[in-house]
Amino acid sequence: MVLYDSTALAGNSSGSSSSSSSKPPPPPLQPQQQQEIDGLLAGAGYKVRSSELRKVAQRLERLETAMVNSPADFSQLASDTIHYNPSDLASWVDSLLSEFAQPPTCPSEFVMDPVTNQTVVNDAWTTTEPNMPQVHQNISYEQQSLNNQLTVVTAMEEDSGIRLVHMLMTCAECIQRGDFPLATSFLEDMQGLLTRVNTVCGIGKVAGHFIDALGRRIFQGIGGGSINGGSAYENEILYHHFYEACPYLKFAHFTANQAILEAFDGHDCVHVVDFNLMHGLQWPALIQALALRPGGPPLLRLTGIGPPSPDGRDSLREIGLRLAELARSVNVRFAFRGVAASRLEDVKPWMLEVNPKESVAVNSIMQLHRLLGSEPNRNSPVETVLSWIRSLNPKIMTVVEQEANHNQPGFLDRFTEALHYYSTMFDSLEACTVQPDKALAEIYIQREITNVVSCEGSARVERHEPLARWRTRLSGAGFRPLHLGSNAYKQASMLLTLFSAEGYSVEENDGCLTLGWHSRPLIAASAWQALSDAPAEFPAPDTHRPS
Amino acid sequence: MARSNEVNLNECKMVVPLNTWVLISNFKLAYNLLRRPDGTFNRHLAEFLDRKVPANANPVDGVFSFDVLIDRGTSLLCRIYRPATAEEPQPNVAELEKPVAAEVVPVIIFFHGGSFAHSSANSAIYDTLCRRLVGLCKAVVVSVNYRRAPENRYPCAYDDGWTALKWVNSRPWLQSQKDSKVHIYLAGDSSGGNIAHHVALRAIDSGIDVLGNILLNPMFGGQERTESEQRLDGKYFVTLRDRDWYWRAYLPEGEDRDHHACNPFGPNGRSLEGINFPKSLVVVAGFDLIQDWQLAYVDGLKKAGQEVKLLYMEQATIGFYLLPNNNHFHTVMDEISKFV
Repeated sequence: MVLYDSTALAGNSSGSSSSSSSKPPPPPLQPQQQQEIDGLLAGAGYKVRSSELRKVAQRLERLETAMVNSPADFSQLASDTIHYNPSDLASWVDSLLSEFAQPPTCPSEFVMDPVTNQTVVNDAWTTTEPNMPQVHQNISYEQQSLNNQLTVVTAMEEDSGIRLVHMLMTCAECIQRGDFPLATSFLEDMQGLLTRVNTVCGIGKVAGHFIDALGRRIFQGIGGGSINGGSAYENEILYHHFYEACPYLKFAHFTANQAILEAFDGHDCVHVVDFNLMHGLQWPALIQALALRPGGPPLLRLTGIGPPSPDGRDSLREIGLRLAELARSVNVRFAFRGVAASRLEDVKPWMLEVNPKESVAVNSIMQLHRLLGSEPNRNSPVETVLSWIRSLNPKIMTVVEQEANHNQPGFLDRFTEALHYYSTMFDSLEACTVQPDKALAEIYIQREITNVVSCEGSARVERHEPLARWRTRLSGAGFRPLHLGSNAYKQASMLLTLFSAEGYSVEENDGCLTLGWHSRPLIAASAWQALSDAPAEFPAPDTHRPS
Repeated sequence: MARSNEVNLNECKMVVPLNTWVLISNFKLAYNLLRRPDGTFNRHLAEFLDRKVPANANPVDGVFSFDVLIDRGTSLLCRIYRPATAEEPQPNVAELEKPVAAEVVPVIIFFHGGSFAHSSANSAIYDTLCRRLVGLCKAVVVSVNYRRAPENRYPCAYDDGWTALKWVNSRPWLQSQKDSKVHIYLAGDSSGGNIAHHVALRAIDSGIDVLGNILLNPMFGGQERTESEQRLDGKYFVTLRDRDWYWRAYLPEGEDRDHHACNPFGPNGRSLEGINFPKSLVVVAGFDLIQDWQLAYVDGLKKAGQEVKLLYMEQATIGFYLLPNNNHFHTVMDEISKFV
């Protein structure tokens, strides 16, 4: 285990004491009710209980009247309000009404400037309604969408790829049936066909990797072999190039940071636990944002989890040092601790040394899916980990996951989904022309493909599941959603315009944000808070005075 | 003014079911937040608020869908809806573009509404509508995600419609067995109806056959203030002011509403006499304030000797076809299936 404490190095900032503006305690957990939702409005994307229709209508009327009576205020409302979860129509209308009824207070809100990684103070008024999520209603609509196992598909444009797709599917089907000799002959045919197909974009580009992965499965078996044995160092390099080549990771970091920043508002001792530190790419922006926040920065602790370095280097510590250096330069009191673990499930909460007085953020960028076991059973690693996360009582848990259904038990279904997911992702890489970022990013993705297609059991770690599933899982584990609002949406959209490719799109999905290529979401970001069984503790005001 | 508006709210509440009222009022409210007086549009908030649904290659109620990028340069996407066949309830993903099986399969190119500024092909309300059309007409529906105003003014939407028409016409897998040709219909509501008309116009003399136009509450207008506009202004969800805003956003800067895009039978329009224009089904809602322009459009077609059927739904407001909870909806759907 690696420990590094840089408090001595980081400068002592003159952190002024801010009054603890804790959010009001969450409403007590309501018994989950299966209330009837208006089916026709559900088809239009809105969840409104039939019993509430009349009330919503009345509120809409009131808003309309207010709009007519004071148009100037209304247009102010229009430009400054932060909106949350438009599907929950009743709440949306209510929040607009309450916004309209009281003149907004004007704390300034700071946003992260994605270009310079600086924080820009923004005078936009926040909504007077605090970012309190509604108690997550369990409704039959949610259950339905899970059962259907939606497949999002973007068709291949190249006619010449159709035959290749046919063969890929047939080969995968043979493998599912156990007919390896036939699968092998298809494999050979495909390798031949590949030389004659356009490999610049669309299906041709990604087909080669799938053919490769099928080959591994047939000839090397499902234990993973060499592809999974890539060293931690290699993985970090590939990850970094993937980060540079396309916006998915930047979106993940940016959205998570914004949510963490808001959650930490008013707290003076904060502790971020990063489930996969890598090169710590996510954290400079947060450090700088905290440095610039009104009232001064908090004491920031960062615990970074990562694989042990085999060759005597202590890469976690090195990253920690660099981050500490940065923190010092902007006068943020900072402490770093590295926790080396080859698997996330090997981490125990006591290793994180969470202080009960600090506000904790748990940050998981594409890590939770690795905890899903091959057999869904009571004590699968994900449940254990979620349970100890909850015991830390984090202010926020940010979760980013691939938006795909790559954990289906049937091989053919999984293969089909992966084919579409990764061909879309590869397509989106077209936007990047910078080498070697692009080439290495492709290798990074290729490794995922290989794992999804050619591995089974404990070797298959890329067990991506869609947002709908994560919602159910996390709600069931005692978390409730913190909705990401229109401000986060707008900033994420603006981040995308920095990329020359037209084709990336951010979408709002029931309080979460997704980033995708054209109409296909590829990565989903959400934020959560642990439900406590007892009413939440109201920290006493003097607990947050800086030491 | 406020008083009369309060009366109006009660009026329109009486003619539509409650959930329809909630839906359309919600749109009205949201759209008000998006239109800025200076003519700009809060696109980020618009996309945030718009409820979208992904394509689904697994059939739901006998219909499956998938998206295709038909023009990379303009990022032009279309969502294609197809009926699932009995033998293959779950289409193999490689068979999304499997040739249509029947003797005659209508292909309906659909342009969603939104006054040229709002909505997308993947908006929930339009995804639902297109799915209905598949079952109703035993058709393949191609919903075009055209570029919107004010960022993209005339003629972008028409250009995108034309691109989609050419693309559909050139797909071998959309050809009907009977004559190896694609049986194309153009359809749209509100601005989509306007686009359908203009794309049909462009198709004349191009060699591409459009078999019919279906226009649901099509968006037309003109400089003059008509009787219906004055009578119904603000009464049933829509105001003249917002209509004006959308035309200002779509039409080229400096142009007025007698531009031929807005007023095809007006002073700047093209005569359709003697032209091989497709037969048209035009649906007009009795509480739509622009009905005088829509009726004038029907008249214009008649006078030019073109085949047109008018469906005037007296008690209908805009958007009545979005939810299947009223008689107008069923009447119109019936007529559409007969038309195709």
